[in-house]
Amino acid sequence: MPAETLRRLWPLAALLIALVAIALVASLAPIVIQRRVVEALIYLIAVVALYIFAGNSGVLSFGNVSFMAVGAYVSALLTLKPAAKAVFLPGLPAFLKAAEWPTVPAALAGGIVAALFGLFVGVPLMRLSGIAASIATFAVLSITYVVLGNWTSVTGGQNSLFGLPLYADLSTVLPWALVAVAAAFAYQETRSGLMLRASREDEVAAEASGIDVHRQRLYAFVLSAFFSGIAGVLYGHFLGVLRVESFYLDMTFLVVAMLVVGGMRSLLGAVTGALVISLITELLRQLESGVPVGGITVAAPPGLGDAVLALAMLLIILVRPQGIAAGRELGWPFGARAQGRPVSSDRISGGEAK
Amino acid sequence: MINLAQHVVDTISVGGLYALTALGIGLIFGVMRLINFAHGELITAVGYALLLFHGWPLPLAMLGALLIAVVLALVMERVAFRPLRGADPETLLIASFAVSFFLQKLLALTVGARAKGIDFLPSLGEPIAVVGIRLQVLQLATILVVAGLLAGLSWFLGRTRAGLEMRAAAENFRMARLLGVRADRVIAVAFALSGVLAAAVAFLFVAQSGTLTPRMSLQLVVIAFVGTAIGGLGSLVGAAVGGFLVGAASVILQAVLPFELREFREAFAFGLVILVLLVRPQGLFPARGLKERV
Amino acid sequence: MATAEPLLAVSDLHVRYGAVAALRGVSLRVDPGEFVAVVGPNGAGKSSLLLTIAGAVKPQAGTIEFRGAPIAGAALEAIVRRGIALVPEGRHIFGTLTVEENLRLGITVRADRRQAAADIEDSLATFPILGQRRRQPAGRLSGGEQQQLAIARALLSRPTLLMLDEPSLGLAPAIIDQVYGILAEVNARGVAILLVEQNAARALDAARRTYVLNAGLVRLDGTKDTLLGNAAFDAAYFGVEMAGAARP
Repeated sequence: MPAETLRRLWPLAALLIALVAIALVASLAPIVIQRRVVEALIYLIAVVALYIFAGNSGVLSFGNVSFMAVGAYVSALLTLKPAAKAVFLPGLPAFLKAAEWPTVPAALAGGIVAALFGLFVGVPLMRLSGIAASIATFAVLSITYVVLGNWTSVTGGQNSLFGLPLYADLSTVLPWALVAVAAAFAYQETRSGLMLRASREDEVAAEASGIDVHRQRLYAFVLSAFFSGIAGVLYGHFLGVLRVESFYLDMTFLVVAMLVVGGMRSLLGAVTGALVISLITELLRQLESGVPVGGITVAAPPGLGDAVLALAMLLIILVRPQGIAAGRELGWPFGARAQGRPVSSDRISGGEAK
Repeated sequence: MINLAQHVVDTISVGGLYALTALGIGLIFGVMRLINFAHGELITAVGYALLLFHGWPLPLAMLGALLIAVVLALVMERVAFRPLRGADPETLLIASFAVSFFLQKLLALTVGARAKGIDFLPSLGEPIAVVGIRLQVLQLATILVVAGLLAGLSWFLGRTRAGLEMRAAAENFRMARLLGVRADRVIAVAFALSGVLAAAVAFLFVAQSGTLTPRMSLQLVVIAFVGTAIGGLGSLVGAAVGGFLVGAASVILQAVLPFELREFREAFAFGLVILVLLVRPQGLFPARGLKERV
Repeated sequence: MATAEPLLAVSDLHVRYGAVAALRGVSLRVDPGEFVAVVGPNGAGKSSLLLTIAGAVKPQAGTIEFRGAPIAGAALEAIVRRGIALVPEGRHIFGTLTVEENLRLGITVRADRRQAAADIEDSLATFPILGQRRRQPAGRLSGGEQQQLAIARALLSRPTLLMLDEPSLGLAPAIIDQVYGILAEVNARGVAILLVEQNAARALDAARRTYVLNAGLVRLDGTKDTLLGNAAFDAAYFGVEMAGAARP
């Protein structure tokens, strides 16, 4: 029934329309603003990627940024000019040194390698209980950081890697953002996604119903890793320069903060959080570079932005732990059910009542 | 032979430091099911406090720094974690992550992100020979401090009223409260103790590294977290052993790995951790009664 | 009897967990020194009732008065100090602590340390099994022994009202006899008892008065004589959805 399908797809359609609208408006703005929007969209992909796993399984992963790093470096290695590689990365294996792939296959490669890495890491990790798994993902982040940071022949180690093709603009990043959001929506509507969400509420009951929780978590984890890799790819081709240092705690915090503030339990939350936090960080960045008030320039001390962001995340957790979206997707605004449709019941504070 | 003994001393002293760090984290997790990411910031705060109190007589400076750690821990509990009591572990984890990040950034904002040198107990860097083994006084001090604190903590938990209440609360918090154990007090004591442990770790760490940065405790704390996971969440013995093992693994790998791979030793250590978790997902010394609640 | 001030007076208590209503307007009373039972099927709300009185759960509406003072919504630690002790379902002794340490936790609220320490020795003497195993981890005790420990521990706070949730759960009949014998003695010493049981027969037998709780409401109350063999009792106990019960 077309009306019913429309209603079901509305949460997704609304998000996609909103993103396209934002991009359209931005395309009319000066290039500086456009670049900010592109950056926001890249983070949006990263947050949606994290959501695919953390939101559906209830297990927070601190390791997604390492998938971003993997994706970024793979795509970089495949797209950098061989001449540059010969100079900066003399230790590369021959086929990589010679490789000069077009952007889209290189991006896909980045995502796929990240996904494979996610598979490799996920197989042991998904057997752990929630908190232990989260801590273990932290270990993955650290391992990746150490390995990439010291693997000088392949990544340049502590040195920055220059010369990535700067192709990440609105016209290239927007489609990826739309794909990521659509994939996240599609996944959570599949049987697999539903099974994972069931385990989020009550792992024991889910296992008893025959759901292989570990396997479902693994699927989500790998899909999440793929899109994290894509986000990393785009990040690299947005900046043109890669440093291992940037794929560590600061970025992890930012991505996690975006998801938490927006609301970990719904796709709307992921998207909202990414956009809202991007906006806030942009405003804070403006403050730090100085705002003319009257005749004087008022500038905030550097680092204030980060501190404020951390404070904001803490406040959200204390005051509204379910985030802005509170686990809801966008509701169909016309007709009987005009209010937000909760995807599943919220239970942030476990508390006494069990 | 002497070389081996030196390696053993290295291993024990580094492992001990990580064990102490892990204990601070495990103590809080035991009573609150909270993984306190901000434990690292307690250590960092002590380091900077030593800088602040530079020029004071040493015992006074150390006492002052210790008090700062305890007060910060108590404030952290009161402001950020008490409102979240009873929340599920994931929420608590995120909250402690936010607190940790906030404190790091606040510190960077106020004292600057650049490294600062600090001259703390430089005499500990002197070499000393014990039973023919050459080691630093610092290493000996580390081993003694770790042993002393472990013994002290054991005594506290096993032989005092407050310790008894804490053990009961760690096993089954609601039942303890039903018997009249005051939740606020038990948790506050746990945080205060974690502050003391953080201070001890800070003293030893700062004496060795001589530098302060807002992120200096990061490595300590990441290893300690992973150590508690491998040791068994909820078990103090597990936390200490797990922290020790991962720290020790890092040192052993440093000695054992071929030169080109040495920088990757942390990666290897964590890789081993993941292997252990594969085999024993619940950790080496899982706490009994972890699921118990009224 | 009804004219004397009740020890415990619960009035129109409403408790819900999220969307689920556990208690939908429960009223009951326990007089000083009285032995009262609450029976009902699984899910009737019996545990919620005791947990709410003890302060572990906060009610949405209704009042609870103990010795004339309102305690609904007060903190657990404070309610224990007023003289109410709860032995929860499953006993919940501290398995990693020794028997003696478990008892020492029982005296947490006592101000008179010396007498309290003496009371611990008394307990160990009164329950010889506990005395024998005083230094063993409590987790090694059998079900019946653990129940003894839980009761002894609860009594050490010198409560005026002792509440027990399903004390016979998982115990062999002979052990259940033992437990109920202990409860009778305790009651004889003047401690009021509020007992929650699925095993209606035992509870009816031991208690002075019994309430039948079903689906969050008190359906019936009476004494052993008025309830046993009464058709209304069966209907109250086994009937789940009764007229008017479906209303939230």
